[in-house]
Amino acid sequence: MTALLSIEDLHVAMGPQEILHGIRLTVDEGAIVAVLGSNGVGKTTLMRAVSGIYRPRRGAITFRGTPIAGLPAHRIVKLGLLQAPEGRQIFSNMSVRENLVLGGGDVGLGELDRMLTLFPVLGERLKQNAGSLSGGEQQMLCIARALMRRPSLLLLDEPSLGLAPMVVAQIFDLVQRIRGEGVSILIVEQNARAALRIADHAAVMEDGRIVLEGPAATLRDDPRIAEAYLGGHTH
Amino acid sequence: MIDPYYLQQLAIGLSLGMTYALMAIGFTLIFGVLNVVNFAHGEIYTLGAFAGLVLISAAAPPAVAVIFAALAIGALAGFSLERLAFKPFRRFTDEASLKSRAMRESTLLSSLAVSIVVREGLEIGFGSQMQSIPFAYLINTPVRVGPVILVTGDFIIFGVAAAMLVGLQYLLTRTRTGLAIRAVSNNPLGAKYVGIDTDRTIIVTFVVGSMMGAAAGILTGLYYGAVFPAMGFIPGIKAFVAMVMGGLSSIPGAVICALILGIAESMATTFVSSGWSDMVAYGFLIVTLIFFPNGLFGARRERV
Repeated sequence: MTALLSIEDLHVAMGPQEILHGIRLTVDEGAIVAVLGSNGVGKTTLMRAVSGIYRPRRGAITFRGTPIAGLPAHRIVKLGLLQAPEGRQIFSNMSVRENLVLGGGDVGLGELDRMLTLFPVLGERLKQNAGSLSGGEQQMLCIARALMRRPSLLLLDEPSLGLAPMVVAQIFDLVQRIRGEGVSILIVEQNARAALRIADHAAVMEDGRIVLEGPAATLRDDPRIAEAYLGGHTH
Repeated sequence: MIDPYYLQQLAIGLSLGMTYALMAIGFTLIFGVLNVVNFAHGEIYTLGAFAGLVLISAAAPPAVAVIFAALAIGALAGFSLERLAFKPFRRFTDEASLKSRAMRESTLLSSLAVSIVVREGLEIGFGSQMQSIPFAYLINTPVRVGPVILVTGDFIIFGVAAAMLVGLQYLLTRTRTGLAIRAVSNNPLGAKYVGIDTDRTIIVTFVVGSMMGAAAGILTGLYYGAVFPAMGFIPGIKAFVAMVMGGLSSIPGAVICALILGIAESMATTFVSSGWSDMVAYGFLIVTLIFFPNGLFGARRERV
């Protein structure tokens, strides 16, 4: 398999404080890669640096052969790297349809019908203000908005945050379907159990570094993971 | 039967209110995308009027060309203002900086500085006294409508402003540029994730808002027949009041409040001398701030 995204020795700082101390991570074409870790270890910082919201202090990020470290966010989006960010960041005062139109950008509305099949609930709410949707619906809108551009890589930052277990299961099912349609996925999660179930490959972050990495199946059975992130159970 | 005098004052108030509305939209759009007040907005109005005056004295073109010249100068002034007074204070490293307090305070002063420089610059160039617009360009031919006597300017101002409002509405709801403006107003970080060039969108917002401000300036100049360097100050404050009354970031709110303000001022001259009519706006501002701190339309916190 070829690497779609490769991150080499990535350092990111906020002012004088360095948050990421040399991250190395690869997402292969067609894969789901999960980054696990508890709150505040730098997962979101990593995602924002990849999307161009933060400028890395040092290191390289290569997406489909193009170096993207330091590019502004809107240029990275144009290359086909989209993110459904932490906190969803939807346009709450605009209609669901307008959110999707903005997601399509200059690619247009070619994906709209497919999104409404994938997320039927959005079809019923097209005219509603996005802010009036439930948390799960907002998360779906956020993912659909990112998919409107037909990305080759989708970044998902804590898609399960604040959602009921049943909705979480639904979202993770959708993530697998999206991968089935040829979109590679890099997902950041505190819900390690759910993430490891769908991921091919996983990395565990602690304090701005990746401390453990390997095939998701191996990590699922790793006693250290079970101890720290799966509440002591191995299954 | 209502006294025709009141109908006349109502019509005058509407056209006056429309010029405030054009100004208030510029304030509101810019406040929407940056969360800052642009203190140089009154000078954009003045520049629009002076652009018209200069063109009239140099080439004596048709009136339509005068308005387009004012719009062009407004666009240019808005662009330069953003690059000069706002861009240098903006650092897009995290979501907080786009609407941060430090930026609000520094751009408040930088835009005030631009405003002073422009006004003083115009005084050096043209003198501080009123410049009169040649008679042929004035829009004050009387028009009799039933029992009421209006002037052509009332209709022209109302018509041009209404056309611009409709155009703005179209821009904001039907075009990608307009959706981007609303997206940046609603959620600047979210805008970056969908690939909007926020920097470019902010420039466009300044250009659009300033064109409307400049249009208000030239229309008022042609209506009253006088143009002077400090002319933007009072309308700037009135438009600011309309924006605050409308809830800071609601365009419909700002427009409605600008019209209320215009009509209230024009009606007030019935009861007090016209010198006191400015007090109406300040009275509205005080009442709004005390009793409706979110603005009359601000409860929903609707942006743009």
